Amino acid sequence: MARVKPKRHNIRVDMTAMTDVSFLLLTFFILTAQFAKPDVENITTPSSISEKLLPDGSLMTILSTTDGRFYFTPVENGTERMQLLDNMAKKYGTTFSDEEKAAFTRVTAVGVPMNQLKGFLNLSEEDQENFKAPGVPMDENSKELIDWVEQSLAVNPDYKMAIKGDTDTKYNRVKGLFEGLRDIDFLKFWLITNQETGPTN
Amino acid sequence: MADIQVNDNSGKGKKVRSKKQPPHVDLTPMVDLAFLLITFFMLVTTFNKPNVMDLGLPAKPKEPTNEPKNDIDLKNSISIIIGKDNRVFYHQEEQASLTDQNMLETSFDREGIRKVVQEAKAKAVKPDIFTVIIKPTDEALYKNFVDMLDEMAITKNERYGITEIRPWEQEIYDRKIGVAAAPAANSGQ
Repeated sequence: MARVKPKRHNIRVDMTAMTDVSFLLLTFFILTAQFAKPDVENITTPSSISEKLLPDGSLMTILSTTDGRFYFTPVENGTERMQLLDNMAKKYGTTFSDEEKAAFTRVTAVGVPMNQLKGFLNLSEEDQENFKAPGVPMDENSKELIDWVEQSLAVNPDYKMAIKGDTDTKYNRVKGLFEGLRDIDFLKFWLITNQETGPTN
Repeated sequence: MADIQVNDNSGKGKKVRSKKQPPHVDLTPMVDLAFLLITFFMLVTTFNKPNVMDLGLPAKPKEPTNEPKNDIDLKNSISIIIGKDNRVFYHQEEQASLTDQNMLETSFDREGIRKVVQEAKAKAVKPDIFTVIIKPTDEALYKNFVDMLDEMAITKNERYGITEIRPWEQEIYDRKIGVAAAPAANSGQ
């Protein structure tokens, strides 16, 4: 009796529970992952020691390129984008068809003046990508960029804004933008920067 | 249920001695894969977010062109002028006393502007209200401007202002840029 031949069993760990948990986590991370959309232009942001991360939520972004052109990225939310387009259309006395509105909810960034926007929205998505945008006007004559911001805020005053400027943008372009934002009393926003590796500079 | 089946089986087939084990699927590769994907998605979500730096602009009507400056003791503040080609100048003078000699040039590296700001702050009468006035010229780059704001964060200067360069400063700055074009090599002071 005492000498029962012990059966050699491989040690088996029941992995079911672990699989359950890991797939639960996997699902969670897949669903929460937000992939960075490629920018319309290549922007090298300046570096800073700031460790604050860009907050989530309704965020509009202004890109400013090396040669001083501006792109405006409205908030992601589709219905709010349509409202924004309606507001802008009203302000500039044009109308947009339903297809154009639908196209507007999909654009990565607006980089054309209002009078070219209709044409831009009617391009196919591939053409939109290859389109060399002249930038949203922002100077003494026409402050469309500020209008975009202002009309976005009219849709929802809780929008936040971030400016993604290229290192080589001339300061006077940025200054013009800042002055415009002060005109509409929009004073708090973020500058997108790179994390600096250490206090070397 | 399982028990009954096992009994049935053992009754029928004599050859089967041991209890039929329920089939085991080896889940290890699946778990491996799942964890790999988890790691990937975790990293993607955190690295995707860029860093930001706060910027608050002064409200427009509250900024009468010269009034706030009069409140600032000149020795308790420093004016920094960001010029073209990554050049930066500073002074602690007012209009009448600012000359070519006391508007000095420095650089954006660690030994440059940061030291200048820290030394000026150490000498300040009231260090807690020491103020840095940043005056970017139109030729300055956005990068220089952000660097300057970053310096403020590094030197923990809460009090700083961004204004436009005054004409009398512009005049001397222009001269400096023009004159210093030849001996640009000795950028130190």
